[in-house]
Amino acid sequence: MTRRVPLWLAAPAIAGLLLFLVYPTVYLVALALTRSSLAHPLRVFTGVENFQKAFAAPAFAPSLGKSTLFAIVVAVVTTLLGLGLAMLLRHRGAGFGVAGALLLLPLVTAPVLVGVAWKLLLAPVGGGLAGIAAALGLGGFNPLGSGVGALIVLGLIHIWQWTPFAALIAFAALGVVRPELVESARVDGASPWRTFTVVTWPAIAPSLLAVATLELVIGYKVFDTIVVITSGGPGFATALSPFVIYQTGLRGSFDMGTAAAQTLVFAAVVGVVATAVTTVRARMVRAEG
Amino acid sequence: MNTSVFPRRRALQLLGLAGGAAALAPVLAACGSSGGTDALPSTAPLSGKFDGVTLKLLVNQPHVTSFRDVLAPKWQQATGGRLEVTPAPYDQLTSKQILDVQSGTGEFDIFDYFYFGLGDLVDAGALTDLTQWIDTNAQQIGVSGYLPSIYDPYTLLDGKRYGLPYDGDVHILFFNTELFERYRVEPPRTWDEYDAAAAKITTDAKGAAYGAIVSGQQVPMILGCSYINRLTGYGGNLLDAQGKPALTSDASVAALKHLVAVAPSALPTPLQIGFDQANTAFLSGQGALLDTWTDMALRAEDPTASKIAGRWGALPLPVGGTNTTPRTALDAGFGLGISTATKNRDAAAAFINWATAAPQNQLVSSTAGAGIDPVRGEVLESAGYAKVVTKAIDPIRQGLNGHPLVWPKQAGAPKLLQDLVDQLALAINGSQTVEQSLDNAQKSWESAAT
Repeated sequence: MTRRVPLWLAAPAIAGLLLFLVYPTVYLVALALTRSSLAHPLRVFTGVENFQKAFAAPAFAPSLGKSTLFAIVVAVVTTLLGLGLAMLLRHRGAGFGVAGALLLLPLVTAPVLVGVAWKLLLAPVGGGLAGIAAALGLGGFNPLGSGVGALIVLGLIHIWQWTPFAALIAFAALGVVRPELVESARVDGASPWRTFTVVTWPAIAPSLLAVATLELVIGYKVFDTIVVITSGGPGFATALSPFVIYQTGLRGSFDMGTAAAQTLVFAAVVGVVATAVTTVRARMVRAEG
Repeated sequence: MNTSVFPRRRALQLLGLAGGAAALAPVLAACGSSGGTDALPSTAPLSGKFDGVTLKLLVNQPHVTSFRDVLAPKWQQATGGRLEVTPAPYDQLTSKQILDVQSGTGEFDIFDYFYFGLGDLVDAGALTDLTQWIDTNAQQIGVSGYLPSIYDPYTLLDGKRYGLPYDGDVHILFFNTELFERYRVEPPRTWDEYDAAAAKITTDAKGAAYGAIVSGQQVPMILGCSYINRLTGYGGNLLDAQGKPALTSDASVAALKHLVAVAPSALPTPLQIGFDQANTAFLSGQGALLDTWTDMALRAEDPTASKIAGRWGALPLPVGGTNTTPRTALDAGFGLGISTATKNRDAAAAFINWATAAPQNQLVSSTAGAGIDPVRGEVLESAGYAKVVTKAIDPIRQGLNGHPLVWPKQAGAPKLLQDLVDQLALAINGSQTVEQSLDNAQKSWESAAT
């Protein structure tokens, strides 16, 4: 006999879904299809005009490519570095230890504070790193002064901040690797690399690939450090998509319609890339299984 | 047997209902979000006792000291009323003011507003129309005492007035006399002389100091000011006599070329330099030349904040090209307006009248760190103000008594200015030529006009 479940028990979930998913999505689409400013949302239906304006903005289209490149690079690097750190920590024992706790500091620091700290360190005059460079005879140290340099610096800061997250998950994942299998492989004469690929990787791959997906999404969402450190500059060099959308909607133009169109395009790009990554992950997990 | 109490059809019905409600919600939200355009009646008070009334102000962050530490105690003493001051960063001020009214929150009574955001605020229905009240009480308010150069630009839009001037912001050129003497250069009167002085100091100082501090962060309040200061110097305007964009004029090209050319002699690097970096570099003696707001005079002379007290000078902004008449620009500048959502309209009216009156304007513009400049002629010409700004008094008076360039202020002006500085930054960064950048900005402004 099946027990009847009262229908109203689904109400909180449905209400949550409507409030936090359906309503914002419908509102966003409505904004994107209408002339909407911060002051007057949903004024006149304009069809795809906002999408044309989105791509006419000089910073937006390039920002999609830059955001994707940035997200992929930082996701790969943070995941690999995180795995490396986790393996080193595991080598010391089962506990995360003081060293592990210290490694987490960048992760638990507010992104704005991270930005302020790095901005002070990187200041070309009076900055800590500039002082060290000058002492070493390397005058003119100013990586934020060039477009490529500024983007690389933002990437390094992001990696510095988010590698501990990958390390934390990888450390937990390594805990499920059965020591007796590792020991057997060693006894059978397998090299450390062979042991890793045959014994360790199959056990941790699902977790690691999940981390990589999360790091990818986090990389796409980078915003705070851009605002604090570069404000999208020099020029548009570090104007990644979230920053461009923020500028369109809330700084200067208050053009919520175009900002909504940019958000939808950006969401589509993130969706495509994330879907590709999760598909690859699913195939790899199946293959390993 | 199907025993589910939540069959697929039922679920779809519920989702359909929910989708319909969600689709309707934005329409309802939009209907509820149209701002009012209330007018303040001419009978609203100019003064009074306001015991128990707390006025909430949303103000530009650098103005907090003027409201919280200088005016609030005196307002309480005079009227019994209290002030609650909330600061907003300069780049979020206008949007927060619009959102306060549009969202229906209506938390604030008074807005300390950027004049170039006036059009957007009025378009949003966020500011009360004060025309009748000001016209009827012009004499008691002392309207004729406001500086003519700023009164209309700060408060008038399409024939209606929405505020009273609070902070008369113009730029002048500050220089470090010690560095000038050490490296044997003369205070510049032209942008060419400025370049020569900056280059000599930067070269001779070998990294110990920089000839110029060029504030170039990619926001209108920073890079916009630096460009417009040069534009006025070369005799240009943002708009021509017919009100059409004039961003590709010879003066405009010369102004941007100057910004590009001065970069090697400037504190590295202009596009990274905001208020904090610029002020710190000048006050610590690291930079010799800085075009900035006139209240720098008070900071520079304050030994607790400055290492160059007594060792600085000030000049009108340099001239260039065929122009020989110095002219400044209304770079930023603030008025006090009444939120349409206020529930304390009488007290708010009395406050903006009181806060912009001569005694209060004298007080705040003479307080170091308050970030306020004169809006009234009698304050600008007073011996008391001259005493606190010392060597800067002549260029300040010359600027505010002249015909400063007025930034656009119609609805959408902040976007135009952001478009402009985006293009300026691309030229300074070397991504585009000066001509290409200005041409792009011109097209953007023309497109907005149509």
